[in-house]
Amino acid sequence: MATLSRRHVLGLAGLGAASLALSACAGTGSSANRPKQKGNGTLQFWSNHPAESKKTEQKIVEAWNAAHPDTPAQLVDGGKNYEELSQKFNAALAGGDLPDVIVASDVTWFNFAFSKATTPLDDLWAENGIDPKSYVSTFVEDYTYEGKHYGVPYSRSTALLYFDRSVLEKAGLPLDRGPSTWQEFDEWAPRIMDAGGGKPALTIPDGTAYLDWYFEGIAWAFGGRYSEEWDLKFTDPRTIDAGRFLQDQVRKGHIEITKDAINNFGIGTASGLLESTGSLGGLKEIAGFPITTTPLPGPAPGCPTGGAGLSIPDGISDERKRTAIQFVDFLTNTQNTITFTQATGYIPVRIAAHEDPEEVAFLNQNPNARTAFGQLQGNTKPQDYARVFVNGAGRRIGGALDKITTGDADVEKTFGSLQARIGDAINRDIKPYL
Amino acid sequence: MSNTDPTTPSTAAIPATTTTPRTSAGTTGPARTTGPARTTGPAPLPSRPDPTPSTDEVEKDRARRRARKQANGLLGVKVVSYLGALLAALVIALPLYFVVVTSFKTHPDIYSDPISWIPHPFAPENYSYVWNEVDFGQFLRNSVVITAVLTVVKVVLGVLSAYAFAFLRFPGRNVLFLLVVGTLMVPNEITIISNYAAVAQLGWRDSFPGIIVPLAGVAFGTYLMRNHFLSLPTEIMEAATMDGAGFLRTLFRVVLPMSWPTLMAFVLITAVTEWNQYLWPFLMSDTGRVAPLQVGLTLLQNNEGPTNWGPVMAGTLLASIPMIVIFLLLQRSMIKGLTAGAVKG
Repeated sequence: MATLSRRHVLGLAGLGAASLALSACAGTGSSANRPKQKGNGTLQFWSNHPAESKKTEQKIVEAWNAAHPDTPAQLVDGGKNYEELSQKFNAALAGGDLPDVIVASDVTWFNFAFSKATTPLDDLWAENGIDPKSYVSTFVEDYTYEGKHYGVPYSRSTALLYFDRSVLEKAGLPLDRGPSTWQEFDEWAPRIMDAGGGKPALTIPDGTAYLDWYFEGIAWAFGGRYSEEWDLKFTDPRTIDAGRFLQDQVRKGHIEITKDAINNFGIGTASGLLESTGSLGGLKEIAGFPITTTPLPGPAPGCPTGGAGLSIPDGISDERKRTAIQFVDFLTNTQNTITFTQATGYIPVRIAAHEDPEEVAFLNQNPNARTAFGQLQGNTKPQDYARVFVNGAGRRIGGALDKITTGDADVEKTFGSLQARIGDAINRDIKPYL
Repeated sequence: MSNTDPTTPSTAAIPATTTTPRTSAGTTGPARTTGPARTTGPAPLPSRPDPTPSTDEVEKDRARRRARKQANGLLGVKVVSYLGALLAALVIALPLYFVVVTSFKTHPDIYSDPISWIPHPFAPENYSYVWNEVDFGQFLRNSVVITAVLTVVKVVLGVLSAYAFAFLRFPGRNVLFLLVVGTLMVPNEITIISNYAAVAQLGWRDSFPGIIVPLAGVAFGTYLMRNHFLSLPTEIMEAATMDGAGFLRTLFRVVLPMSWPTLMAFVLITAVTEWNQYLWPFLMSDTGRVAPLQVGLTLLQNNEGPTNWGPVMAGTLLASIPMIVIFLLLQRSMIKGLTAGAVKG
């Protein structure tokens, strides 16, 4: 050891420096004009396993592999929520090694379509004999941009009202329907609170947990909206009315806005809950009381649809795209969409699934799952551009709603500045490229 | 996009980092109280001449009274310092206590109002759930491999390069050192995309090299160890040279033994940091094959629907145990190193 020369040691120091260089400034790749990636023969499906669905997904993937041994698929852990998946996909877009199929949520798919990161599916459908009309139309039309579809519905949901059935009974309220308007909810709320021993009548997740999505339906029921295409409507008197109503309900104690609304309802500190249908499966496990679900109050439409679809990256070879669209079709075929949605609480995305005898039997046994179906007929419509197409807008709207509810800020002023900030984002990020 | 959601998996990672300093503070708490306790040692000194035969009764009595007075004064100090220690311990221990207790609670118990301080019913099945549900053993193995390799590589590179920077004279030494220190200023997040591209081009995604190599840079270690080496007295190095120690022998026989505490601190910081890496291993790993625990634990949190925090806490606790063990092991040698230096000096 002692015979090592100075030069050797310098060499070792150089090795350290080289390792540094590798970690500090490795090569970059640009996504434009790169040859379409061939892949390694295994289809990469990046999923965030919406609503604890990993096991179900794995089973479906295994069924695919058994039927298609030449083009096997692999289920890849894309993160624990839509945001993480989108982060991982962005890294792949910049760095290379693209997946074949990704889960894209209602707020992320458009940015990918807009930046041409994902591919339009219409030609692929035609080439492979897949009929887009076989999907529930409100679901598939959500992924339209410039007349082309950029996604296939996968784990789709609507919002629902969940109530503790025993409290409704005690309050002498109807059990077969929910409040038909928000004004009626205002009348019901004191009775629900009395019957529940003073607990809030309804708990809604806060701005960090998609209050912006739930409130969208409330705004519609009041005749307001977030935007008419790119024309912002936050300062529309009817949208402001909806905001004032929510604020007033929070002040009266009828509605509680909290981060962990599902758990609060599940352990019984609130008598009602406004949440996604995707929570139904988990709630059944933790709630120690009978749950009844009702559609969101109208006048219709008073409920947004949400959840996620599947998209195919544009940067992969045509060969891979062909396999990918077949895999997507398989994931969402009548049998698999039934299996998947019964395990999670989402809504089957294929029309045929809604008439399938197995599904009908399931719905008869689970009337709560039926509520979401009923809502699709007339109480839902595609979401406003301002929430789903503007990068980060959901969080901004959620923040403004937190301000007027838990912060008790002035509604008109808060919505005014919200409109200005989202308007800036549209003018900067979107208008120049339309 | 943003990773600032408070419920991100890094919450799983945070307790692991924080527990280690916590235990350290926990052990210094009681340690501090030995201060006053030790001062009671010298206090009875005056009464020690007691056994000597020809002592005056009055003198004896006076000494006893003096000792009692001193003891009374010390009692006050003792009480105050014990209270202080208790308070500090509470502040540190309470959140930790809740992590531990929550890991044994059932779902309704976690959210009970008022808070339940003792799990009721006691639910150790959270641990078996974690172990079976997320393939804990596999993730643990991956974490150990990644952390062990990274720690060894970083410490070896850090010590060798620091040694060169401290004791070798070569052209451009200072410029090169500045460059190394400069990389400390570049946040990890900035290099992620380029690293991703490099690793993807090498075909290293979803493999150990893909996770480990880009994380193996050691700017911090080089900086820390080099500055420590420079603080060592040159006389000793000269004496070693006089005794015929070569370049590397000087490192292993003279320089490193004198740097033990710093080196251990470096090892500890490196091990804890690498153990808690989240973003990079998450981007690199596609399946559970090479993903570390911090990524695996996110499988316990649900995208929609209620998250059951009992198993999450159980997993977090299990994930932090290896780091606590490492800390306890290294802490001993850190202290040994310190005292060794003190005696020699």
